[in-house]
Amino acid sequence: MDFLNPVINGFAVVLEPTNLLYCLLGVVIGMMVGVLPGLGPAATIAILLPLTYNVEPVTAIIMLAGIFYGAQYGGTITSVLLRLPGEASSVVTVFDGYQMAKQGRAGTALGLASIGSFIGGTAAIIGLTFLAPLVASFALDFGPPEYTALAMLGILLVATISSGSKAKALIAAALGLLLATVGRDIFTGESRFTFGSLPLADGIDFVPIAMGIFGLGEILYNLEERHRAAKAPSKVANVWPSRKDLKQASGAIGRGSVLGFFLGILPGGGATIASMASYAMEKKRAKQPERFGKGAPEGVAGPETANNAAATSSFIPLLTLGIPANATMALMFGALLIQGVTPGPQLVEQDPELFWGVVNSMYIGNILLLIMSLPLVGIFVKILRVRAAILAPVTALITLLGAYTINNSMFDVTLVVVFGIIGYLMKKFGFEPGPLVLAFVLGELLESSMRRSLLVFGGDPLGFFGRPISATLLVVFVLVAVLPAVRTAIAKRKRNSTATTPAVTPDIKEKV
Amino acid sequence: MMHFPTRRTILGAASAVTLLALTACGNVAGGGTADSAKYPSGPVNLSVGQAAGGSTDLIARALAEGASKTLGQPMPVVNKPGANGALATKEVAGKPADGQELVLLNASLITITPLAVSADEAVNIDDLDIIAGLSQDDYVLVASAESGFKTFKDVTAAGRNVTFGTTGVGTGSQLAQTVLFKQADVKGTDIPFDSGKPALTAVLGNQVELATIQLGEAMPQIQAGKVAPLLVFSEERTSFLPDTPTAKEAGYDVPVAQYRAVAAPKGTPQEVKDKLLAAFQESFKSDAYKEFNKKNSLTPKEISGEEVVTEWKGYAAKYKELVEKYDISLSGNK
Repeated sequence: MDFLNPVINGFAVVLEPTNLLYCLLGVVIGMMVGVLPGLGPAATIAILLPLTYNVEPVTAIIMLAGIFYGAQYGGTITSVLLRLPGEASSVVTVFDGYQMAKQGRAGTALGLASIGSFIGGTAAIIGLTFLAPLVASFALDFGPPEYTALAMLGILLVATISSGSKAKALIAAALGLLLATVGRDIFTGESRFTFGSLPLADGIDFVPIAMGIFGLGEILYNLEERHRAAKAPSKVANVWPSRKDLKQASGAIGRGSVLGFFLGILPGGGATIASMASYAMEKKRAKQPERFGKGAPEGVAGPETANNAAATSSFIPLLTLGIPANATMALMFGALLIQGVTPGPQLVEQDPELFWGVVNSMYIGNILLLIMSLPLVGIFVKILRVRAAILAPVTALITLLGAYTINNSMFDVTLVVVFGIIGYLMKKFGFEPGPLVLAFVLGELLESSMRRSLLVFGGDPLGFFGRPISATLLVVFVLVAVLPAVRTAIAKRKRNSTATTPAVTPDIKEKV
Repeated sequence: MMHFPTRRTILGAASAVTLLALTACGNVAGGGTADSAKYPSGPVNLSVGQAAGGSTDLIARALAEGASKTLGQPMPVVNKPGANGALATKEVAGKPADGQELVLLNASLITITPLAVSADEAVNIDDLDIIAGLSQDDYVLVASAESGFKTFKDVTAAGRNVTFGTTGVGTGSQLAQTVLFKQADVKGTDIPFDSGKPALTAVLGNQVELATIQLGEAMPQIQAGKVAPLLVFSEERTSFLPDTPTAKEAGYDVPVAQYRAVAAPKGTPQEVKDKLLAAFQESFKSDAYKEFNKKNSLTPKEISGEEVVTEWKGYAAKYKELVEKYDISLSGNK
């Protein structure tokens, strides 16, 4: 079993004490930010990026990944107990989870969510294990033309990722592309938009942009919000669901795993969409749909399973193709780049320890989360008592200190502040920051790959269609361009049939 | 490793004050010696103009490890990437000349980069005191398996346009190949990549037929037989690839390699330079450092600072002449 050797070696990597420790650290931080409304996994990862500089790449990514999927667990707790979703991906859990809590079955709801999350996450890791090497077997066929097509696809998807206005998403993406052109033109050595400034000669670093827009921008924006003081949560007892509950929820968990896995792979998909799709599907399938919104266990188990499966499977496009599917993955991309690792088809081959170390750490992380989330619910809920007045300055300080340590440069700190203000203004005026950051990451790849391809083709753009992989990707590109129109049509039909769905609580803001 | 900015600033300020005080005393004989005798008065920072993990950074760390033992003070490596290393170099050149701030220099910054960038981005070697030369990192021309090229003769005989990858604009890789192809009258399309690794990957996947890459990077794939080494650009054959001819042997005049040296701000007292040189020489002698060089296919070139200046200036003039002779523009626009 040659194929399994690197997989098993990956476990050896995870079981090193340092990696185990960072995995635990990651999931605990993830769980905490999951509970805290106002601080999402993307912001947390952006803020903590500099902390990962001095550890091995695999250790760093294990921790960052832990933050991401840990947040999916944490978000559930407040949804169920306080009707306050800690994460956007736990919004639909509120409907039935809070009702169950009111009926004194909070423990059951949390238990089901944890078990579902665990199964969904694990199923997605298994999928990742088998799918990734398949994609990677094409690794060396990926040349500049293929990367051009992939980057184009990614940037097009930027528009579909956004949950708000498409026009605003495109504006943000265009700004991201523009920022990506700053610095030395790598083909001619010509300086672009540097205004004679030496620190800008190599372009703007990804990290200050991410830390500014996601980290500082998010902190500033949250200062405007006056969070309700946390009420004492309902008592949590008996977290182990009964056999009857499990039986009732098992179908939802199974379907949620599969649905979440596929929605997570789709660029532009992700945990939030997966949880909503799963809720809609469970409701549609149910024999008595009227039970939904009144404490149906499937309404908690399905979405919670799906969001974890999606959180895990969204690593597939990143680790195998080097295309980040959402804002959090764009940060992972950046984190890998700083570590000198370029995510892409070569990763599995060239860096099997990193790849399998990270993938396998997710098994361990999910087990840790399952163990933690049940008995420690009460402790995590207490985090809600930390006031924004204390949290905001502390996180801002950590962000700025971190920014300095990257290149020991005050210039980077200034950049973070500038992008923090931009990020704040963007949020305030309804521009999603995700498209900007994604377009920035992919912009450089797009430009250099396209120019390299054209050099190889001798300036003939038809060359892109002469290669099987790039041609296929370009066909997908066209399909995706048409997809939103199709989706709108379907949504219109759906809206007519599900007009009775309770409206999403309006005070829930989409977080990144 | 964390850096403590405040401490450094204070140290810097303190040394500046000391220096001022000394100047105020006038040029009393032995005045400088008294101060230098106490050298080093704290951590000696070794700046690197490249990101952590790259070959320049690794060399700095291997060197610092040995030298800090001899000096009895820590020698933290400070990465300040940007503008091919010009950023870090210019910053160190502006620091007080007390030996507490050093920089690891890449020869290409002095010899090749000025050919590709504007004058204000270029670094002048006369703004620095070179402490010691370190090693030579050779470039090798490799061909993909599918290209069928086994020797450089195959390339010249092919009589067609070949695609070749470089490790970027203004690098030795670009200079070596463009000059070589002009001299050999081979038509080629120059495709710049961001660094050695993606260029090598492109050759592995036959996205480009040829590329010139640093030996240490290409070695594993050469040994695995995945790419064929055609030429090395060193003046003499390298001990790591004894069967690969040099460009010179093949009849071309294009000696290009990456050299590295340690430098301090201009005007560093001679006693301080001597102490540093002694510490580095101690480092050179250690088995760990020798093993490091071998592992990374680096040929030791532990020459004096004066020799470094003469050699690098020689190469800079030579490259300028070659570029002008063959009407090559390193910044594209061909």
